[in-house]
Amino acid sequence: MKKINIIPAFIVILFLNGCSDFLDKELQNSLTQEAFPVTESDALLATNTTYTTLREWFYHSGGYPILDFMSDDAHKGSNPNDQLPTLGPYETFGHTPSQDGLDRWWNTLYLGVKRCNVVLDYVPEIQMNPALRDRYLAEASFIRGLLYFDMVRAWGGIPLVTSTNPPASLGRSDAEEVYALIIADLEVAVRDLPERNEYSGDDKGRATKGAAKALLAKVYLFRQEYTKAEPLLMEVINSGLYGLEPVFTDANSVNGNHGIESVFEIGAMQLESTDAGGNQYANTQGVRGTPNRGWGFNRPSLDLRNAFEQGDPRLKGTIIDLGDVIDGVTILGDGSTPDETTDEDGNVIEVECYNRKVWVPGTTTITQWGHQRRLIRYADVLLMAAEVLNENNKPGMSIFYLNMVRARAREGNNSILPDIMITDQALLRDIILQERRYELAMEGHRYWDLVRTGKAPEVLGPHGFVTGKHELLPIPQTEIDISQGTLSQNPNW
Amino acid sequence: MIIRQVYNLNVLTVYVFKPEKSETMVRFTIHSSKFRLFKAGLVFTFLLFAFSAFSQVQTVTGTVRAADTRETLPGTSIFVKGTTVGTITDIDGNFSLPVESPAILVFSFIGYETQEVQFTGQTVLNITLETSKVALEEIVVIGYGTVRKSDLSGSVASIKAEDITKITAANPVQSLQGRVSGVQVTSVTGAPGASPVVRVRGIGTFNNTSPIYVVDGVILDDISFLNASDIASMEVLKDASATAIYGSRGANGVIMVTTKSGKVAEGKTVFSFSGEAGIQRLAKKIDLLTGREFAIISNDIKAGSYNNVDAVPNTDWQDLVFDIAPIQNYQLSASGASNTMNYYLGVGYFNQSGIIDKSKYQKITTKLNANFNMTHWLDLGINLSVTPFKQQIAPNVTYQVYRAQPLLMPYYDDGSFGVVYNVGNPFADLEYSNNFRDGVRAMGNIYADVKFTKDLTFKTSYGLDGEYVKATNFTPAFTVYNPDGTASQQQNIYSDLTKASNDMLTWLWENTLSYNKEFGEHMIDAVAGYTMQNTTSEWFSITGANIIRDGESFWYINPSYIQDPANDINNVSTISNGVDLGLNYSMISYLFRANYIFKNKYILTATFRSDGSSKFSKENQYAHFPSFAAGWNVSREKFMENIDLISRLKLRASWGKVGNEKIPYDRRFSIVSNHIAVFGDPSAAYPASSFGRLGNPDLKWETTTQTDIGLETGILNDRLIAEFDFYHKITSDILVDLTVPGYYGNGQGARITYNAAEVLNRGFEFNLMWRDQVGEFKYNIGFLGSTIHNEVLKIGGASGIDSVLIGGYLANGQPVTRTEVGQPIGAFYGYVTDGVFQTQEEIDNYPVYTQEELQPGDLRYVDINGDGVINPLDRTYLGSPIPKFIFGFSAGFEYKRFDFFLNIQGQTGNKIFNGKEVVRPDPYNFEAHVMDRWTGPGTSNDEPRPAFGGYNYNISDRFIYDGSFVRIRNVILGYTLPIDWSNKVFMQNLRVYVKADNLYTFSKFTGYTPEIGSGGVLDNGIDNGIYPITAVYSIGINLTF
Repeated sequence: MKKINIIPAFIVILFLNGCSDFLDKELQNSLTQEAFPVTESDALLATNTTYTTLREWFYHSGGYPILDFMSDDAHKGSNPNDQLPTLGPYETFGHTPSQDGLDRWWNTLYLGVKRCNVVLDYVPEIQMNPALRDRYLAEASFIRGLLYFDMVRAWGGIPLVTSTNPPASLGRSDAEEVYALIIADLEVAVRDLPERNEYSGDDKGRATKGAAKALLAKVYLFRQEYTKAEPLLMEVINSGLYGLEPVFTDANSVNGNHGIESVFEIGAMQLESTDAGGNQYANTQGVRGTPNRGWGFNRPSLDLRNAFEQGDPRLKGTIIDLGDVIDGVTILGDGSTPDETTDEDGNVIEVECYNRKVWVPGTTTITQWGHQRRLIRYADVLLMAAEVLNENNKPGMSIFYLNMVRARAREGNNSILPDIMITDQALLRDIILQERRYELAMEGHRYWDLVRTGKAPEVLGPHGFVTGKHELLPIPQTEIDISQGTLSQNPNW
Repeated sequence: MIIRQVYNLNVLTVYVFKPEKSETMVRFTIHSSKFRLFKAGLVFTFLLFAFSAFSQVQTVTGTVRAADTRETLPGTSIFVKGTTVGTITDIDGNFSLPVESPAILVFSFIGYETQEVQFTGQTVLNITLETSKVALEEIVVIGYGTVRKSDLSGSVASIKAEDITKITAANPVQSLQGRVSGVQVTSVTGAPGASPVVRVRGIGTFNNTSPIYVVDGVILDDISFLNASDIASMEVLKDASATAIYGSRGANGVIMVTTKSGKVAEGKTVFSFSGEAGIQRLAKKIDLLTGREFAIISNDIKAGSYNNVDAVPNTDWQDLVFDIAPIQNYQLSASGASNTMNYYLGVGYFNQSGIIDKSKYQKITTKLNANFNMTHWLDLGINLSVTPFKQQIAPNVTYQVYRAQPLLMPYYDDGSFGVVYNVGNPFADLEYSNNFRDGVRAMGNIYADVKFTKDLTFKTSYGLDGEYVKATNFTPAFTVYNPDGTASQQQNIYSDLTKASNDMLTWLWENTLSYNKEFGEHMIDAVAGYTMQNTTSEWFSITGANIIRDGESFWYINPSYIQDPANDINNVSTISNGVDLGLNYSMISYLFRANYIFKNKYILTATFRSDGSSKFSKENQYAHFPSFAAGWNVSREKFMENIDLISRLKLRASWGKVGNEKIPYDRRFSIVSNHIAVFGDPSAAYPASSFGRLGNPDLKWETTTQTDIGLETGILNDRLIAEFDFYHKITSDILVDLTVPGYYGNGQGARITYNAAEVLNRGFEFNLMWRDQVGEFKYNIGFLGSTIHNEVLKIGGASGIDSVLIGGYLANGQPVTRTEVGQPIGAFYGYVTDGVFQTQEEIDNYPVYTQEELQPGDLRYVDINGDGVINPLDRTYLGSPIPKFIFGFSAGFEYKRFDFFLNIQGQTGNKIFNGKEVVRPDPYNFEAHVMDRWTGPGTSNDEPRPAFGGYNYNISDRFIYDGSFVRIRNVILGYTLPIDWSNKVFMQNLRVYVKADNLYTFSKFTGYTPEIGSGGVLDNGIDNGIYPITAVYSIGINLTF
């Protein structure tokens, strides 16, 4: 009788003892962060991830090209109601701290920073090839500088995160501190990155010494530290590793992928998925309807169209019109988008047209996902050099580089785009800014160029730009709310 | 007469002796006391031997049924008149009793007339008891046992077999809607095979709010695989006293499901068959614009859009897409019992087509329950359900039907699909959709019951629950062309095929020791147990494109479909594989409950469960859930004896803690995520990995503390039975995904789980039932209801993170709900409107708008914060999706051989947000109320000027509807054939009936149904264009033979 009573208790105890680890379930199908990165190959994986951020849709100013919407180059685009309440306000500077996309951009830039910090925090501890280690650290430093440069231009001072484990309540650093970190990061990148020809072909797309110098020069340009920018730009130019594509459109097209003009570009696969290697940047702006089934955002403005000098081929290199035939493909556009938009008085204020800079041949959406956005191209380097040299009182050299850009744009037609001969500093300054518009329109530069040169009130004032407010974007409201008072808003927002 | 039931046993024969009464029994008692220390089995054997030694003693077995319902009566007491020899029937109404003939057997049961039967040596005695106009004393299934309703100190609601099958539905849990107070069952969609959302006593968590199901002792998450006809009873455990025995999983309520078992019935097998066939149709159409009306409105928006509004086509998309669809349900069962075993075998077939083409659900349910009396001290048994099912899922064309312009035609003259601008042609989507989900769910357990003594029983049960599902989704290449012959947006350039599978296996081993003992006026009923559970799962998915042919026989993945460089398709990344995050955990639990009853009047219950779960880190792995309850059967007190009005009165109160751990198992881990980096020219993919989502290693259980005070009473000889409960429950340490500062680097939308919220649910429940009989007219009328007060008490707090949860995202990403302290979960949030601007002057005199240029006819939003600007800061709370009161009304009538049943249910106090009307990036059709639009000063102050989108479509109270409704859910008229007719065709019983489900709904909402469910608590009550709920008309037959 007693035996029977004991059996179940015995079984239970047996199981209890046998199963002391019964409740320990490990994470399936993923490493935990405690176990990564610890090997040389982990170091490479972590470094590679710093680049994937650049293909995130949100990396591109929150998904939509709002920087161009805010400039005089472009309207929202797509059909009139599409994303009107969410994106329309950027055109008229009616956006608010809760505006769609600000939080996405902010969060994704910080996501990228964290991925850089993983490399910078942990790779120094890994036993590995020291040369490779220095390169990985320099790559991560370059990307971190690139990301923070976007942030400081968009928002000014922001919380400065330099490790994977930031404190729980972090306030805004001032813009100078952010710039100090950017410059320090890019100096590491300049020092330790290989030149583009020192990489193997499989590594095309990684940050190079030339890219780091160009980016650092741009940072100095924005800070108006022209004397610091000049030598960097001259080193890039004199390296002999870069040049201009003979055909303007190739500077951004598939023909020029990793070409001579490409200083830093974002590699992408022709796959309709960011996770698989695609990039939705061009799809967002691609021709709506036939043939590309793009979303058609970022519509070139009439102002931009009318700004080009007579006969400048860059007009058609920037704007796709209905009826154009490009790479053998006829552009029909979108049935639900009006071909012309008029104001109350019947004046045409917008026509259906698209951004040529993101054109990818093909009749499906898939090809657009393979577009390789150029973040820095050599024409930009030359124009920066022209600007810096002009500021440094070297107008002769300045117009030399300026005219290199114009010469390429001419594409052999000597009846157009005559060389600039003006050497008056103030006049030349305006001319260079104009040239930047012709050359770099719809590539996300214009708004910041207007702000940094102080032209924004004059040019964008009629659009709604308010001096002392719209030089910066508002800190996303969600971040202000979450911080519970730690984060302050930008002035006048 | 003291008769006691032994709980938790399949054989429920208990002897109670009063030695002074008879000579035989005195002798018996001596044996009994002498052998008290021996094993029950020995005693029992000896007693049988002792009885048979007196040659007149023999065992009589039988079943006791109610005369009116033919239902068996568990708990009926049987005793030999003039002695104290007796027993009570088991849960299936069976009894077995050794009797010395001749004798008179007395059968008595609360609520029924006591019956005396002359015993002259029959081996089988089947007894029917007539109703005494006093309600029957129920046996209620509770966790790890059963209890007589009068001995229950917790709040448990019960629904019996006949009510479970009243609704024709794929999922038996639908039968609880409107029939059990405090339980809300809401359909998320009307698609065949879709599971409803079930909530017990409000919403106490931001996580999974579903109750757990315990089917014959096996803990499950879902019972859609069961056949309603196989279920004997469902009990909803509501208060902490009842649910604490399930500890960490009790917080959302527990639904106990007991399937049928065999009964001794005239010594032969009982077969029963039920068949039902019906049709479903769209219960209600949405009033949308006709072609002509759409042209008029379009002209209002842009003059000259249509020159002749009388000459435009008119397509009623709803009429074209929604069809009448059949539903069928057949079930055959066999059950029986002998002295050594009882069994139940059932097979069922359920087949439902949707009112939208290409949606279907069918399942075959098989059920086997068997219990074997191996020896007098050992019972072995098995419960087994195996259910293969097949589902076809249609694309959600409801939204397209709602949006498609009525001027467009579904087909061109040549019969090809017409372009439907902006939304796509729903017929093309249906034509090219091939989305199937096939699988099998198998669930069962084997158990052994060992009686050590007559008081002490050990039960061990090993349960398994497994599911395998495979999904196939094939879309051929197709293009819908514009009228000019160019391709429209609706096309699939390459055919594609997705194959996916997932499997799940749970084992659950439970060991319990039950002890039941009576000492004079004291009775103790206790259970203690140890259980282990392990759940694993895995899924796999792979997509290919450019399948060589369209036919079904080619729907298999081939490497060339995955790597297809010739067509620029390279989908290696679409191969994925992993574990279901909610179904990968293990648990160890210790449980204990003691029920003490004094003088049959005073009940005390203490329950305790300790759970350890692998979902939490070592420090937080275990949590402990105690509960206490007390009951007082006031009507059994002396001072109540003379109060004839009140036949029954019980007061009860409980307090306890229960938990909820239904979160993905991976939330405590900080993960490394894998990516693709692209380098080289041409581009190539390279692996990349880095830190991904941050976990929270400090996670612990959610705990719900609930207090319940209840009163049960029977009045006028139990003609009126009433039950009232007040509950108050606070859930604390709610696991909530909070936004963390962007600079943490988790990326957009990534959140971290914290134990950082607290929610109160409070309410009052009542259940009233009146039954009576006037001549041959029997009737019952029931009314039940519950109130819910839902309030968030805390979010974020010490974690220093956000105190507001945003949710209810519409298709365009706009959020509609906001959850913060002081508000109910998922409250609607937006602008308040105050009519329509009639003139430009009114606009000019109104606060400045930050963005929009307004016109007369636009909505006037209220400047809530009074800062002189209308901007997002002026949004405010617009109401709650959680009803304040839900109720059900039922009426049953029987006259001669006719029976009639009516069930009405409803709710009030909640709001609905018409999400489908708001999202309009393109020109879509409108609801008919747009015809009442503003067209000039004084024309309308409600309906703004029409527009295809924009300002007037901001989230505002314009899209908020009163969610109150009253639904005639169930009407049944039946006729039972006279017994002599039935007998002529060798039937025992034959009933035919006609039935209507969801017959009509009274509601102010313009959508298909005011009952809008959602799996996510922050997304409740938003109509985003759901698959409509249908009305079902059916005929059926029940027969036993």
